[in-house]
Amino acid sequence: MAELTYREAVADAIAQEMRRDEDVVFLGEDIGAAGGVFKATVGLLNEFGPVRVRDTPISEQAILGAAMGSAMTGLRPIAEIMFSDFLAVCWDIVANEIAKARYMTGGQMSLPLVVRTANGGGSRFGAQHSQAVENWAMMVPGLKVVAPSTPADVKGLLAAAIRDPDPVMFFEQKSLYPTKGEVPDGELVDQLGTARVLRDGHDVTIVALAAMVPRALDAAKTLSDEYGIEATVVDVRSLVPLDTRTILSEVSKTGRLVTVEENPRLCGWGAEIASIVADEIFWDLDGPVIRITTPHIPLPAADALEDATMPSSERIVREIAEKMD
Amino acid sequence: MAMEVVMPQLGETVSEGTISVWHSEIGDEVSTKSPLFDVSSDKVEMEVTAPARGTLLEIRVGAGVTVPVGEVVAVIGRPGEEIETAPDLIPTKLETEENIVEGVISKYAVKGSNRDSNGNPLSPAVRRLVAENSLNPIEIIGTGAGGRLKKKDVLAYLSGTGAVKVAQSTLKSVLQKRGDDTEVIPFSNLRKTAAKHMVRSKATSPHVLQAFEADFSRIERVRETVSRSWKEREGFSLTYLPFVARAVCVAIRDFPRVNAEIQGESLIVHRRVNLCIAVDLHFEGLVAPAVKNADRLSMPELARAIRDVSDRARRNTLTPDDFTEGTYTISNSGVFGTMITAPIINQPQVAILSTDGVTKKPVVVENEDGDSIAIRPVGVLAQSFDHRAIDGAYSAAFLHRVREVIETTNWMTIIS
Repeated sequence: MAELTYREAVADAIAQEMRRDEDVVFLGEDIGAAGGVFKATVGLLNEFGPVRVRDTPISEQAILGAAMGSAMTGLRPIAEIMFSDFLAVCWDIVANEIAKARYMTGGQMSLPLVVRTANGGGSRFGAQHSQAVENWAMMVPGLKVVAPSTPADVKGLLAAAIRDPDPVMFFEQKSLYPTKGEVPDGELVDQLGTARVLRDGHDVTIVALAAMVPRALDAAKTLSDEYGIEATVVDVRSLVPLDTRTILSEVSKTGRLVTVEENPRLCGWGAEIASIVADEIFWDLDGPVIRITTPHIPLPAADALEDATMPSSERIVREIAEKMD
Repeated sequence: MAMEVVMPQLGETVSEGTISVWHSEIGDEVSTKSPLFDVSSDKVEMEVTAPARGTLLEIRVGAGVTVPVGEVVAVIGRPGEEIETAPDLIPTKLETEENIVEGVISKYAVKGSNRDSNGNPLSPAVRRLVAENSLNPIEIIGTGAGGRLKKKDVLAYLSGTGAVKVAQSTLKSVLQKRGDDTEVIPFSNLRKTAAKHMVRSKATSPHVLQAFEADFSRIERVRETVSRSWKEREGFSLTYLPFVARAVCVAIRDFPRVNAEIQGESLIVHRRVNLCIAVDLHFEGLVAPAVKNADRLSMPELARAIRDVSDRARRNTLTPDDFTEGTYTISNSGVFGTMITAPIINQPQVAILSTDGVTKKPVVVENEDGDSIAIRPVGVLAQSFDHRAIDGAYSAAFLHRVREVIETTNWMTIIS
């Protein structure tokens, strides 16, 4: 076991896969010589050289166009979009081309590529550099969507995403980059489409993703210590494929579902989970579903306002304590 | 594999159709070319052919019966084929809306009430448990907010540990949090209702308090004179309260707007005086049953009526009727010798009177020989009124009149 930061786990996973498979290439803005603006790709240029680790011009469309073309012709590219907000400028390539190529060619073509991107708020970057947009990707059929919460999950799930034969949108939560965690030594490959139960309780099931996972765990501890409410915490980890088996079974046990989402409220991923739960296990529900989300607003840059909008562990505690009975 | 034949959509705005005639019988060969049945709605009349070639295995809806669009009316398949009977959640006859609602929830239809004993709707999980175990939700005590029945309450009920223990364990966890320095007393339903009412009253009505001192000498003399015979005759002591109540009734005749309620932007003045008497239930709560038509009762009748509602309040045998139609309230904290109490208005009324302790005080008495000081029993009459309804002058005039009645009435003649 080694203790790595979330950002070190990114470089670790890419290096692990590039050593294993020489078809794996990596491209993006400032990822090579600079080691990434979030320093998540330090050392890769040195180890693998400028042919496999490419700094690109500032054109997100060019990055993903090149990634798509190289994937069509046999490589396994990893493309970095520096801020997930910038996915908006290349959404035609993502939503209309990358997501649909396998379907529209009747399976003759697959695109084994990964789009890595820094997602989410909490870093005072303002409305255009702080969005949690995992739900944008979740809405497009043909994309897999992953958002890890720990260094070990970053490494294992990124490796799995690189090995996957289809396009995977890999959302790294930028406020989690400095966080540390134990990562098993040696080769690590996780499984996409698996949620993880991090805490076992009998009163309520909190389903969270990425940066909301540590906050949900914090909240669960307070709920137990101060309110006598025992919460199960499920880390969704992967929105597509979605581990409905784990989520449904954990919600069934408590009869109460709380989703904690960083994305804005309307059409956030928690709404989909609430819908699935209502469809599949309505008769196990013992009270209304509680969705805790960022409100439906562009995220403010001011620190106090940003903190007030994103779900905090205090807010999670408050909302659950208020609505549990 | 068997195939279901459904009631077709007969037009965009049509939701149901009536089968007018079947052209085939069970066992007949049917095809997409020949008519299977005729269907009519209020808009169209048409022939319907089978959706596929096969044998008519089952007719589920007879001629003359009306069913919703999409309802299975027949099954076709190979001769002798077993029909899979899917659990049929929708009854075959859906004639009324109630039937439709019942049909949809029939899977976990609850015997008895669809709500818990506090009127809360049942959660899906509770509804299922209740249905699966043939329970009556009214009989199970809920521990959620507002007494909501939770899944764990039903499970506790089923395991025989019951709601009482659950409630205690909840209480225990609260106690653990607070430490041993405090005792937690959960609100009774009476307390909860009172709390809500008090907050609502203060939020609704701008309260103004006015108080008068009144000389109770005349009443005191009457009480001294008749107390023994009264008690022997009536079986209870004659207190100040019926005298004050009587004085209030008399004063209301002259100032009826304190005997009123506000509706919208109007003051609704009552012709009847239904006098509510606030009764303390051994420190465990407060109720204010009404003495109906108090102004039409004689003094002894009024005293008996007040005694009656107070007794029944303490024995918990009041009926809902005792709480309706109150028009004015008297609260009596006098037994403990309080000087003045600012009462909260009993909504939707507009005024409430508090009578406090009657104590002996030096009083300046004016007569022909000049002023002198006498010792008199004096009590305070304190009224809170709703300033939306009346103003200070009106309230003061009313209180002044109450005092006047108390001080000048020849009580001896009306008590006996």
